[in-house]
Amino acid sequence: MTLGFIRRGALGLALAAAPQFVSAQATTGTVRGRVTEAGSGRGVADARVTVTGTRIGASSGEDGAFTLSGVPTGARTITVRRIGYQPATRTLTVNPGDNAAGDIRLDVSAVNLNEVVVTGSAAPTEKRKVGTSIASVDSAVISRAQAVTVDQALQGKVAGAQISQNSGSPGGGGISVRLRGTNSFISGSDPLYIVDGVIVDNGSAQLADLGTRSNPQNRLADLNPADIEHIEIIRGAAAAALYGSRANNGVVQIFTKRGNIGRPRFTFTTRVAESELREQQPFNFYPFNENGLPVARFNYQNDIFHRAPTTEQNLTIEGGNDQTRYYLSGNFSDENGILRSTSSQRTGARANLQQQLTSRLVGNITANYITTSNQLQAFGEQNDYGIMGSLFFAPTNVDFRPVNGIYPLPPSLGTNPLLAIDRIRNPQTIDRFIGSSKLTWTPLTNLLMDYTIGVDNTGFEQDQFVPRGAVLGTAPLATGRSQSVFERTLVVNQDGVGSYNWRPMGAFELRTTAGGNYTSQRVRTTQATANGLAPVGDLVSAGSVFSATQLDIELRTLGFYGQQEIAWRNKLFLTGAVRYDASSTFAPSERWQAFPKLSASYVVIANEPGMLNNVRVRSALGWAGSQPGILNAYSQYISYTQLPFAGRPGFVNDVNFGNPSLRNERAREWEVGTDVGVFDGRAGLEATYYNRLVSDLLFFRPLATSTGFSRQFFPIGSMSNKGLELMLTTTNVNRPNFGWTSTATYTHNKNLVESLDIQDFQSAGGYPNRIRAGQPAGVFYGSYAARNCVTGALLLDSLGRYRRSNQTVDLGATLAQREAISGGTCNDSLNNVIGDPNPKWMGSFLNEFTFGKKLRVRGLLDGVFGNKIMNLSTRAQNAGIASNSKAYERELLPYGDPRKLPPGFNARTQGIFEYWVEDGSFVKLRELSASYTLNWAAVRRVFGEGVDLTVSGRNLWVWTKYSGYDPEINLFGTNAGGLQSVQTTAADRGFDFGGYPIPRVWSVSARFTY
Amino acid sequence: MRRHEQCAVALAAVACTVLGACSLDLQNPNSPTESQVTTSVDGVIALATGLQGRFATSYGNFAYMAGLVTDEFASTAAALISISDAEQGAVPSGTAIADNVFNSVYRTVRTADDLLTGSDALASQFEPGTRSGLRALAFALKAEALGEAIQSYQRIPINTYGVTAPSYVGRIEALAYVRALLDSAAATIAATPPSVFFNANIITPGVNLPNVIQLFRARYARMANDDATALAAANLVARTGPAALSLLTFPAPGVNPYANVTGGTNGIAPRRQWRLSMAAQDQRFVYFVTPSTTLTGRVGAALDPWSRYANPQAPLAIYFPDEALLIKAEALANQSQVAAAQAALDSVRTDCTGGRGLDDPKACLPALSTQLSQSQLLTEIYVQRRYELFGTGLRWEDTRRRAAIRGPVSAPAIPTDGQRCWLPYAIGDRNANPNATFTALPDPTEPAAFPASCPAQ
Repeated sequence: MTLGFIRRGALGLALAAAPQFVSAQATTGTVRGRVTEAGSGRGVADARVTVTGTRIGASSGEDGAFTLSGVPTGARTITVRRIGYQPATRTLTVNPGDNAAGDIRLDVSAVNLNEVVVTGSAAPTEKRKVGTSIASVDSAVISRAQAVTVDQALQGKVAGAQISQNSGSPGGGGISVRLRGTNSFISGSDPLYIVDGVIVDNGSAQLADLGTRSNPQNRLADLNPADIEHIEIIRGAAAAALYGSRANNGVVQIFTKRGNIGRPRFTFTTRVAESELREQQPFNFYPFNENGLPVARFNYQNDIFHRAPTTEQNLTIEGGNDQTRYYLSGNFSDENGILRSTSSQRTGARANLQQQLTSRLVGNITANYITTSNQLQAFGEQNDYGIMGSLFFAPTNVDFRPVNGIYPLPPSLGTNPLLAIDRIRNPQTIDRFIGSSKLTWTPLTNLLMDYTIGVDNTGFEQDQFVPRGAVLGTAPLATGRSQSVFERTLVVNQDGVGSYNWRPMGAFELRTTAGGNYTSQRVRTTQATANGLAPVGDLVSAGSVFSATQLDIELRTLGFYGQQEIAWRNKLFLTGAVRYDASSTFAPSERWQAFPKLSASYVVIANEPGMLNNVRVRSALGWAGSQPGILNAYSQYISYTQLPFAGRPGFVNDVNFGNPSLRNERAREWEVGTDVGVFDGRAGLEATYYNRLVSDLLFFRPLATSTGFSRQFFPIGSMSNKGLELMLTTTNVNRPNFGWTSTATYTHNKNLVESLDIQDFQSAGGYPNRIRAGQPAGVFYGSYAARNCVTGALLLDSLGRYRRSNQTVDLGATLAQREAISGGTCNDSLNNVIGDPNPKWMGSFLNEFTFGKKLRVRGLLDGVFGNKIMNLSTRAQNAGIASNSKAYERELLPYGDPRKLPPGFNARTQGIFEYWVEDGSFVKLRELSASYTLNWAAVRRVFGEGVDLTVSGRNLWVWTKYSGYDPEINLFGTNAGGLQSVQTTAADRGFDFGGYPIPRVWSVSARFTY
Repeated sequence: MRRHEQCAVALAAVACTVLGACSLDLQNPNSPTESQVTTSVDGVIALATGLQGRFATSYGNFAYMAGLVTDEFASTAAALISISDAEQGAVPSGTAIADNVFNSVYRTVRTADDLLTGSDALASQFEPGTRSGLRALAFALKAEALGEAIQSYQRIPINTYGVTAPSYVGRIEALAYVRALLDSAAATIAATPPSVFFNANIITPGVNLPNVIQLFRARYARMANDDATALAAANLVARTGPAALSLLTFPAPGVNPYANVTGGTNGIAPRRQWRLSMAAQDQRFVYFVTPSTTLTGRVGAALDPWSRYANPQAPLAIYFPDEALLIKAEALANQSQVAAAQAALDSVRTDCTGGRGLDDPKACLPALSTQLSQSQLLTEIYVQRRYELFGTGLRWEDTRRRAAIRGPVSAPAIPTDGQRCWLPYAIGDRNANPNATFTALPDPTEPAAFPASCPAQ
């Protein structure tokens, strides 16, 4: 019903807007000019040029040129804004016809307090007034990253954010974003994503088993990065209090392009890219087996991976007049994965329309339709038919090539990867519509009212076909499986806000804001599965044994908020606000919660010339919450589950015991920071310290299993994140023929589980990640190799093998025996904390060079330091049934060879988890690109603004000691609380088990503007 | 211009309506609530089906684990390390397959208690025979589930309903409780026989509840060395006709618990030694395995693949009918009625194709040629139980009773009899039950010298 309303609403608005297209004013002129950089005289692209007091605006082109058409005649002021520069104004008298504004010069300013932000403050506000740190990323930064998804493009751009690509699967690769550390064990700990005022679904759940905890894609991948105008990121509770019970993990608000006033402007971008496996892993290619007999060995990596092409086309058309602005775009991308038989295609179209309805009423419509088609393969923790698991578990002496058309299966675990590539199919289709209608009404000059209704409607179809005989064993899967799953996710979001500016007395300026928000999210899933497949046919109907499931979940959130801002002499800004919020997921008695915030900002120096240009100090304190994910939406109810038996329906108690007093997690954060601009705006530093404490952390507390229950969603403890974010922006050289700018970020975050009301527990479903009081969340905890307590040397047994801390055959059954062997008490505990997957610090370093006026070169280094990785991929290789690692090869060497390992050495290390912990620090050459502008007269005759040619690379090189494919991939990246992952938390990181390697990508692109 | 204002007002009005109508009290359409199940007749009947489903699972988990730590099963090549550890007698605290026994047993107990509560609360809405059937079913399956716990743990909780921290009692007290439950089951259906409705619509087709109850009574009377009751109950178990075999059935997509563990990472298979150690003429292996000369396990155990349970839909006998004869033989032997005991035993030995017309293991052995002494008889009963009752988990208690716990056996050596006395207590209970912390309830100490029996507490 709600959807119908939106459609009718949108239609009504569109019809109402139509007559306005003809009512252009008669006495207008066109203003042309160019935005240039003060020092070098180069044109500045993507600067926002507006006519003060009107809605007329345009963006400058690559060479800085802009055209404002339909400007009312008379004295007008033109304002130019661009991130990284001081705003500039130019006053001129506009006459009918062409008017020249000439060059408008922008002064470089690393700190820009006049930048306008929206997120977290309910209404557009200059940054100087906001007591928290808000990161902005503009379209130039996003488009230059040459990334396939928006979140990939943000990697290395935002201090305080750990943005990890958890796999190399095509279509983005499952990106997780942690703002200021992990702040929740549930909900994936990912921020709230808002696109043009619409809360969007960023789920990463897969509807079929593609590896229980693999991370092929998250749904933000459906957005086309080329449509994005800018992104605002608020990192913590202090800034996000207005988003209430969903904002503990921060908010990322994405704004799409609105279109510029002027004649239609066509931009066509085409990109051709090639992805490749950066580096093969070493395997056991020793030509003898354990009995010393010759054996042929195969490198399956040659057959599994290939160089994979990607093409991407993007067309945008924008334009408008003073009444109407439009932005239209269409895009198509076809990305092939480096793992054969995987690919992702995205086709999308967008129409954004803004219409002046009356002099005081403006309507905005955005409509974005996307269809994504993926062909994926299972990896990660899928050892029956997952390709990466099969690669790591297959002995290298099996010839997997088909014989008489039949693919041989491996001896003990996994499948034949060639068979999987050839015959197993996991097609997905995602049809998605994201749209919003917004009305902005200014009934009085100082009263602004906004109403937005948005919808995100996703239809997700996932099929899976595993032919008969494709897996080992006699389980039903061996008879073949065909599965078809449909999921429809509908998010409807309504937002109303009004703000009133008033000046009660001289130096004070007040703004009062009040608003409300209502969101409903409904997920409906239907699944049909068939086993016992016929020899021909891959649909469910080809099966002989059937099962089906259906799921219908809804989550609603209602909130109201009020905010009071006080400005004094444009120097001191105080804000107080409170959100009162309720979610259907919580018990009625606990439902309504208040989330207050207080912030202060004091501008000490603003836009002064000389050594010290800008100084601002700020501080904020705020509260925010988080809710269980959609899959746990009904956790307050004590329920029974179906357990059919012998063909009859049955009920049994759900082992997840409901919590009738369920309430939300609550974060309290304060932050203090400063923005300083020095050296005539050439250097700017933004520094923020934050301290966040999340209490009432929700997770499953164990229940005594003797009662027939297992767990209950419950507040289990508290966790803190404290850290420092620095961002340094510098203009190193700014000459007419050479420019050099740098941006460096530094992030330090210290996570600590402050208290835990339950036993410490394995957070990653049987793997060593652990939630333990007094330790960072997700630390590795497990068995270690015993050491001599006096010398610190490893304790070896008579054959030279390690002794495992929790094994009585290695260390004796009693404490006395252990201490006798150890020479002390250092091996008393069976298990220890053996590593921390949380980075000590992260940093990035972006350099951009401009040569002449045509060539631009940029490079981005992105690094993570001091984190540990549990390398279970190599552990799988070392297992006896796989025996395909280099370490296993050393066990096969003849006696006398100095590299020979004692027999059973690798069998012993299987159980010593400390052995598999590696340093995961890395520095990646994330982006490297060179762009050249072809603007010869001949070119310009056809393409008004010339042609940009770019050669670029992503993830080109990695400097790391980590021995696996890639230190960035992580089994538990995006899936907390997802399919079958009841016991996985958002804190589980640094886990490499059959991950899809992240490719190196080279691409060539061209942009034509007409 | 007026049109736009009207439009805005209309939009705002609709928005308010939607906001006003938005209730935050949502019902869960996916699962029924506690009250929907326990206060409706249909819900309580569905609990009885759920109970039988949980019983099949807990029985499967128990038999799986008991077979690993005795000499019956070993892991297949792809199995998890904890399974190959268990087949060598090593079951560290926290082993998932061991904890599964405890957790699934107490889920069965929970559903049985739910069923008892529901059938009492709605007493007036059931006809007496239906209520009696529901109660007897709950008593019987709860008793057997707790009985499986007694055969795996040194101490177990017995009162678990409506408490958050159940306390643990010794095996003797627990066994008495199990036997009392079974007596209640027998008395319930003796007083009011189960209704036609119960037999047609509630109990799984192919299961004969009176026989199941008497067999369980005999089983636990024997465990308590109550020979008189064991003998009497064993004599009440039908030995011929369709009612003599109570089968749990697994129509697709349901699967036999053994089918869940024949492949993949939980894979186990019978040890080849089980077949090879039989008397030459013994045909009982045919029921269980397909002879192999090549199948080896994760740590090198020689295996035979399952034959019967290779079919995921194979039915699972709740008990093998000849168990009643073996209990009878043992009770008689204990009472020094050696001739009668030997006759019962021969009846098991000579069971052959066509014999009693049941689909059960058939030895096809000749009758014993000479009368055995009491102790020889008890030894022979122990041997026959090994082959007749394969894969039922009963082997473990047999080895305890015979003081035949021989300690952990590292591969490639092949275990005989039992390898350990107990499973470590389940971490799931330790994590939340103050009566089950490592301090309050230390894991039992395994014997240090072998062969050993297992002290009851």
